[in-house]
Amino acid sequence: MKRTMLLVRSNIRKAKGQTVAIIMLILLSSIMMNLWLMLSTDYMKNFERSHTKVNDGHVTIAAYTNEETFREFVTDMLSGSDEVTEFSVRDALCMPGSFSYGGGEIMASLVILEKDTALCADVGKAELTEESDLSSGIYLPMLYGSGDNYSVGDTIQLALGSETLEYTVCGFFNSPMMGSHNCGVTMMLLTEDKFRALSEGNAAYPSTCISLRLTDRTKSEEMKTLLLDGMAEAFPDVMFVSDSYEEVSESRYISSMICAGILSVMAFLVLLIGVVVISSNVANTIQDQMQNLGALKAVGYRSGQLVSSFVMQFVVISVLAAVIGCALSYCIFPAVSGMMVSQTGIPYQIRVLPVPFFATIGFVFSVVALTVLLSAKKIKKIEPITAIRQGVATHHFKKNAVPLDLTRLPLHAALAMKTASSGLKQNITIGITMLVLSLIIVFSGLMFENMIMDMQPFVDMFVGESADSCIDVNVSRESEFLSAMKTDSRVEKMHLHTNVNVQHLGGSLLPGIIYDDFSKFNNQNIVIEGRFPKYDNEVAIAAKYARENGLKVGDEIVLKAEGNEQTYLITGLTQLTSYLGKDCAMTREGYERIGTLSNASYYIDLTEDTDIDDFNSEVSGRFGNDINTALNIQAILEGSGGVYVALATVIVTAILFVSGIIVVFVMYLLVRTVLNGKKRDYGILKALGYTTGQLILQTALSFMPAVILSAAVGITVCAQIINPLTALFFSGVGIVKCTFTVPLMFNIFAGIGLVLFAFAAACLMSLRIKKIAPRALISGE
Amino acid sequence: MKEALIKTERLSKSFSNGGAMQHVLKNIDLTIYKGDFTVIMGASGAGKSTLLYALSGMDTPTLGKITVGEADISDFNSDQLAVFRKEHCGFVFQQIYLLDTMSVLDNVLAAGLLVSSEKKALVSRAKELFAAVGISEETQRKFPTQISGGEAQRVGIVRALINSPEILFADEPTGALNSKSGLDVLDTLTRFHEAGQSVVMVTHDMRSARRGNRILYIQDGVVMGECDLGKYKANDKARHEKLSAFLVEMGW
Repeated sequence: MKRTMLLVRSNIRKAKGQTVAIIMLILLSSIMMNLWLMLSTDYMKNFERSHTKVNDGHVTIAAYTNEETFREFVTDMLSGSDEVTEFSVRDALCMPGSFSYGGGEIMASLVILEKDTALCADVGKAELTEESDLSSGIYLPMLYGSGDNYSVGDTIQLALGSETLEYTVCGFFNSPMMGSHNCGVTMMLLTEDKFRALSEGNAAYPSTCISLRLTDRTKSEEMKTLLLDGMAEAFPDVMFVSDSYEEVSESRYISSMICAGILSVMAFLVLLIGVVVISSNVANTIQDQMQNLGALKAVGYRSGQLVSSFVMQFVVISVLAAVIGCALSYCIFPAVSGMMVSQTGIPYQIRVLPVPFFATIGFVFSVVALTVLLSAKKIKKIEPITAIRQGVATHHFKKNAVPLDLTRLPLHAALAMKTASSGLKQNITIGITMLVLSLIIVFSGLMFENMIMDMQPFVDMFVGESADSCIDVNVSRESEFLSAMKTDSRVEKMHLHTNVNVQHLGGSLLPGIIYDDFSKFNNQNIVIEGRFPKYDNEVAIAAKYARENGLKVGDEIVLKAEGNEQTYLITGLTQLTSYLGKDCAMTREGYERIGTLSNASYYIDLTEDTDIDDFNSEVSGRFGNDINTALNIQAILEGSGGVYVALATVIVTAILFVSGIIVVFVMYLLVRTVLNGKKRDYGILKALGYTTGQLILQTALSFMPAVILSAAVGITVCAQIINPLTALFFSGVGIVKCTFTVPLMFNIFAGIGLVLFAFAAACLMSLRIKKIAPRALISGE
Repeated sequence: MKEALIKTERLSKSFSNGGAMQHVLKNIDLTIYKGDFTVIMGASGAGKSTLLYALSGMDTPTLGKITVGEADISDFNSDQLAVFRKEHCGFVFQQIYLLDTMSVLDNVLAAGLLVSSEKKALVSRAKELFAAVGISEETQRKFPTQISGGEAQRVGIVRALINSPEILFADEPTGALNSKSGLDVLDTLTRFHEAGQSVVMVTHDMRSARRGNRILYIQDGVVMGECDLGKYKANDKARHEKLSAFLVEMGW
């Protein structure tokens, strides 16, 4: 052991620069790996902790009625269920509402409760996270207090139906099941006086908020469906909004799931590069130290000891880097967590997590140890005498690549090509690095083009259909409304787009889109397989749901609503993320076979110079209470999408920065290896009259064939596979087919940029050639 | 009157050795003439290789001046020296120093193409030189590790001469070779010298030194004396005796 440690120390001392570069690569990988593990384990569990802390419900249903008969029915229903452990039934005021958020607008199904009632509920209570002395106003979910949004003392304008109410923000609260617009139901708390005032007005419906806990939370979705079905059957005129533990726990963590996914991919890719570099480093060291290794064998070192010294050397520096990386990840985690809270809206207390720490260290240790063990195997083949006398030939030059008398290349390019053709390990390292970086670049380009520059493709894929305005009108005045819209010159296009809930018998509750004319949809890509339903016996269902349930186009399913059942033919598969891949779409005639629309939402596209808010106000004013909601969809997209765009910008910036660092370190290691191996050659060339600049150029050029080829192949291949990969990445939220535009010019310029950056990095790292003096030939330095 | 190729004035070179300064060359005033086969002799550590590499622009002096033509190369930076070497000098090393990754022909062309872009003419000159030193076409396509030491050193001479340098510097060119190969190399150098090539050679081997017409003896960094042997003739006993006497006088 002592002998091995001596060798380890000696090897590290001899290769300080390489050691630092390898440490940096492992460090980067460990930071990302630990962050990923922390996000995907503890951070996700934070929802559960928070949920348990406030004894929140596993199912939340808000019914637009406060009738005693309904509450008695619900109480009996829940009391009689073995699955329900406890529940609460509270007074609430419900109404879809919108308010400013994130530079845009947010639309949510609001459930407004009296503050003190909400804070002391047995099930589903709210927990104050920020209070004030203000005694009259509103308490908001803490999500809306993040970033540059609301603060205590600010005024919030809440648009409820055709009324806009102003409240002073008194504080913020946490509610795992109802604390975000990503939940099906969004809770807001009013002080007693404001709650009373709202109850006395017409802006919101007197309602009932039901929260219940289950023996098995994994059945929350099933139970929600069962309850809604029962309630709808008994009270067909009552409107319901709901959410379940399974839905909310996923939807509130979409951004952290995406971030964790990207971190995991990046961590493994950087570790892969690190491992390739280590492997190449071991092979080069063995080659360079062949005579020394022979000498050590001659004086009694066994092969095992020599291999162990290599393993120890790289394991020690890698584990050290991993430990530092894990420690650094705790410094970065508050920033990551802060970024995540702007989407999750659930407070997270950072704490030391031993499992991710040891998992990261263990993984890095195992991968590095295995890599070095395999790479150092050839030490066993070294015969001491052969190695000492002449070194073991590691190069067998059989072909004179790029003969100078025949090539048309300029001298320096030709010499660079000679070097390139003799460096297989170097080319493999570059190839793998560039392929990884190409993937990163293409992914960044995809996000840049489809999210940051223009949010529409992202909206189309993740939201589905969008328009300028969405006006929900009572069916009783629908004809009048449609006539008015047809004659309004500001209306360019309009189509029915109403959300309903239908039950798939033998399956789940499927939120559905009811439409009149699919040809008027702005986004024709909602149906990714088959076609939109045309006839009243047809339905399109979510592709993810279809896959999970073994359904396909051409199958028949039974749908139920308002107590009626009908069989429908599946004509297409849809892709929407609003319901995490559980939804359906059908024509109005189709839905009316089993249910009746009490209200109809119309998506309206307006002429370019029309102010959406003015239009909505005018229509709301004209139809009064028969307009349930009039939404500015563009503002809503801006508000809710802004969070994702900001997140994407941070991610793209971060991964491009990390890519730059990777290029620099990999180039540093490769150039160091080349310089160490060719020190004598550079001395000879300098003696012959080659200048430092010419040799730097040759060295940098020698990396370029592999860099250019692998970047070109990498970007071409990645551009082909990036959409399927992205779909795989987002499959958890219901994406099965990604149709993002792959930005050709971005990829070309990014590829050229990558090559130029690699060239510049190689030139910069090759400046050490200046230190090589032809005098070294004389003194044998 | 001989034409001066290189002139030194108070040329000094010192190295730092563990903090202590080691003065290897001390105030050397010397002129190297065109057409001469100058041999620098001396005991190990006398400073002969250091002098050779200072004269050839391979290394910079600590003090003093080295003039080549009108240019004072002692003030040149490393890149100016590199340009000076490629335009004026050819080198033959004791350890040969061919590039293992290139064929024999490419080793020569790598030096030639640095000066001339006339590839056809260059290849033709290389072939002539190869023929002159007895390197076959087949050997020209081989790698340095595939040929003998003697052949490699003759390739080294071709490489040194490919750009028709004003002066050829040879540092112990036979030091790493067996007797037969060493003799071949010396014969080659002599032939080129007889054809007008100026040569400066460092050696501590009398057999090699006899090839020169001018012998400089260096000791402790100082040129102690010089001897004019005149034109080389094979098996010239008088020449041998003159050189022996000179060396005895110098304390060899």
